[in-house]
Amino acid sequence: MKLNETLLKVLACPKCKSSVSPQGTVIVCEHCQLAYPLRDGIPVMLIDETRCSKKI
Amino acid sequence: MDKKFKNRVREQFGKAALAYVNTEHFSGGADLEEAARLLKPTPEDNMLDVACGGGHTAIFFAPMVRQVVASDLTMQMLKRAQEHLSERGGVDNVIFREADAEDLPFPAGSFTLLSCRIAPHHFPDVPRALREFHRVLRRGGRMVIIDTLLPEDPEIAEFYQTMEQMRDPTHIRAFSEAEWSEMINDSELILHETKIIPKLHDFQEWAKRSGLKRDEVQKLNRYFMDAPAKVHDYFKIESFAGEVESYTDQKLLIYATRKEKEKK
Repeated sequence: MKLNETLLKVLACPKCKSSVSPQGTVIVCEHCQLAYPLRDGIPVMLIDETRCSKKI
Repeated sequence: MDKKFKNRVREQFGKAALAYVNTEHFSGGADLEEAARLLKPTPEDNMLDVACGGGHTAIFFAPMVRQVVASDLTMQMLKRAQEHLSERGGVDNVIFREADAEDLPFPAGSFTLLSCRIAPHHFPDVPRALREFHRVLRRGGRMVIIDTLLPEDPEIAEFYQTMEQMRDPTHIRAFSEAEWSEMINDSELILHETKIIPKLHDFQEWAKRSGLKRDEVQKLNRYFMDAPAKVHDYFKIESFAGEVESYTDQKLLIYATRKEKEKK
């Protein structure tokens, strides 16, 4: 399930609170580059569930 | 939030997710009616329901507002709530996010309304969560928190803490009205009104909802039955032939807002 722009507007990185954007199957923080997964269309916005998007 | 504790919360509510979604215990009640009276939701409001559990509060408010974002730490709970919502139909403005109340994944000032119902007693750091609530609320935004009130009498309070932890080890602690008032003020929210609302619990349903096994329910029953008279009076414990049938606790409803103007 893709997230539309409106939904992303009410979403931020839980760690640094910067904007996020979709990159393939994950949501990536534009500042700290942490990637948050989606499960059944629900964004998992947990700091300890994240990975650095550069390693993906 | 400590990762180990977080995993325990997930385990606890993951196994109990279906029971929480299906229970009628949370789907209505005097506390929600009172919350709506104070929050005065409008079709322009964007609402956040923190620690949404089975989604009952979000579903209650959804028809009154533009959108509800429902967040919870437990994915299993969110999935069940999402399934319940699509089976039920009629509500299309609730979206789900897996999030930690102490590290909310929302930009500052995203919401005009915020609710958090029967959940802060699971938070390891309530002041931190309140700072996050303040941050994600818009200036002038309205907020209702509802949670079980810690009894003033230390002996009754100790009974309460023990029985909740016997039922659910992820119960951390409830707070008195004075403690809540101080925490709200410290987070720079403006406390407008508090209200105490009694809540009746069917003992068996309440005990089993958290996933207790039969012997654990019996142990809890014995703990209730052996409690001193003042505990029985406070919680209005009703029993028959040694079996607890119901008890009543007090929910504290807190109505607060974020200031319209803040010093920089």
